[in-house]
Amino acid sequence: MKLLSLPERLGLVSYRNQAKSEIKPHIIVDTDICNSTCPHKCTTWVCPANCYTMDEDGKVHFQVEDCIECGTCMYACDQGAVDWNFPDPEIGRGVTWNFG
Amino acid sequence: MEDKFDCIVIGGGVAGLAAAMTLARNNMKFLLIEKGEFPGSKNVSGGVLWGSDLNKLVPNYWEEEDGGWDRFINHRRLTFMDEQSSFSLDFKSSHFNEKPYTGVVVLRSKFDNWLAGKVQEAIDASDFAMDSFIATDIKVDEVILENDKAVGIKTGEDEFFADSVIIAEGVNNLLTRQVGLQDKYVPADHMLTGIKEIIRFDQKVLEDRFQLNGLSGMSNEFVGWATNGIEGGGFLYTNRDTISLGLVLGLKDLREKKQKPYDVLNHFKQHPTIADAIKGGEVVEYSAHVVSSGDSRVMPKELYKDGILLVGEAANLLMNAGKAIQGMDYAMRSGILAAETIVEAKAKNDYTSATLKEYRKKMDDSYVMKDIKGFQDAVHLLHTDVMQNKVPNLVCDFGRQFFSIKNEPTPKSEKMLLGAIKRHSSLWELAKLGFKARKSL
Repeated sequence: MKLLSLPERLGLVSYRNQAKSEIKPHIIVDTDICNSTCPHKCTTWVCPANCYTMDEDGKVHFQVEDCIECGTCMYACDQGAVDWNFPDPEIGRGVTWNFG
Repeated sequence: MEDKFDCIVIGGGVAGLAAAMTLARNNMKFLLIEKGEFPGSKNVSGGVLWGSDLNKLVPNYWEEEDGGWDRFINHRRLTFMDEQSSFSLDFKSSHFNEKPYTGVVVLRSKFDNWLAGKVQEAIDASDFAMDSFIATDIKVDEVILENDKAVGIKTGEDEFFADSVIIAEGVNNLLTRQVGLQDKYVPADHMLTGIKEIIRFDQKVLEDRFQLNGLSGMSNEFVGWATNGIEGGGFLYTNRDTISLGLVLGLKDLREKKQKPYDVLNHFKQHPTIADAIKGGEVVEYSAHVVSSGDSRVMPKELYKDGILLVGEAANLLMNAGKAIQGMDYAMRSGILAAETIVEAKAKNDYTSATLKEYRKKMDDSYVMKDIKGFQDAVHLLHTDVMQNKVPNLVCDFGRQFFSIKNEPTPKSEKMLLGAIKRHSSLWELAKLGFKARKSL
């Protein structure tokens, strides 16, 4: 069986409010902390949806669009950079699982 | 305040729905709030609902043509893995075909929604058919506290009031933290990330491949190579025409070993045993969710305070002590017991801790807390390097020798075993393990 890449996997997820051009992010990340004092930048590998990425200069960037609300980053970040919440049903993103 | 409810239940998962069902049956006026589009729409689990409490909530649920559950478990398997091999403890028994079943595989988006339909039926049959509600698409921002007692909830600009609040929000328990029952930051140490794929087959192919009969099903847990050195384990459960295949990975270990969970899942899928099991299947969903480990050190400080009860994963009621990953059954039982306590509180017209502490007592007297307390050592033992790596390697090494038939003189099994022990561990280490296992299991 062919192994799926992460983008292929995320392509199977049903996201809410997908038609909306602007959504209200439900997780706020203070990347200044990631990019100054954080000794590990672990969100860039522990996140199952790869919402946290590292650029060529080693800087952490966060985008909420692919988030599947798993909660991993809220526990993994021990630096206080992740302000985690659930998405707003009307103007947030987040998931609706078909199987769950 | 005429609109005041007896109780507001936050969260339409297994725990919240079990509480709601019990409230409806006892003619309580309540509001169940779910943030998703429908109950179950944001819920993920492995998952098997163990035990027979479902029969209490929905009597003879198996009689329904297409109920919310997928298959009943009559086949259990625990598999030790190394790179090439798998060595299983395998138990199948028609004893498990008897009803009520002692384990059913569920997919939460379907199961929770079905259970919510049953709750709605119970509401319709209650005295508050027009006054109790299941409300979806509402995110609770805050539990309203007055003099540190819960009096309602706030969502956006709206407020709803009640004599009591049952928090059934799941493992990412922001409201539990807000009301002060859990620390604001919960460290990764005893938390895990669950990650899984739903893989679809032609139903006949699935039934033949896993030797299923009618609606029977199999649950298989994996330990060893499956997790690529990360603390945790793997699972495979058979649904109607899909399987749930996934891993539960220690979050602290993922952080320290710099591994991506989806890469570890692909690693697992490449094991020859798994590759054969999933051949020809089509991945139809990818999901992930944090789970707690059952280590009581991370659990909330208490299960109640004035006007508030905690149920299910909001209270980190989940445990894997080696026999099964139990969470949904704990959720169900805690939801039932919490609702029964609210019924008593209404009769006494006292929703303070003085009455709600009875919930703690009911929980302590139940199998949930007895097992969580009684199997803490087993939880710790399962997460040691010996159990995670050395034992699976040793067992597979022994198996390879024991089952190899070469055209040469065969050594005695004891010699094979001692050789395998020396290569992967030591007699002394295993003696210690055996001693600990005897006490903890």
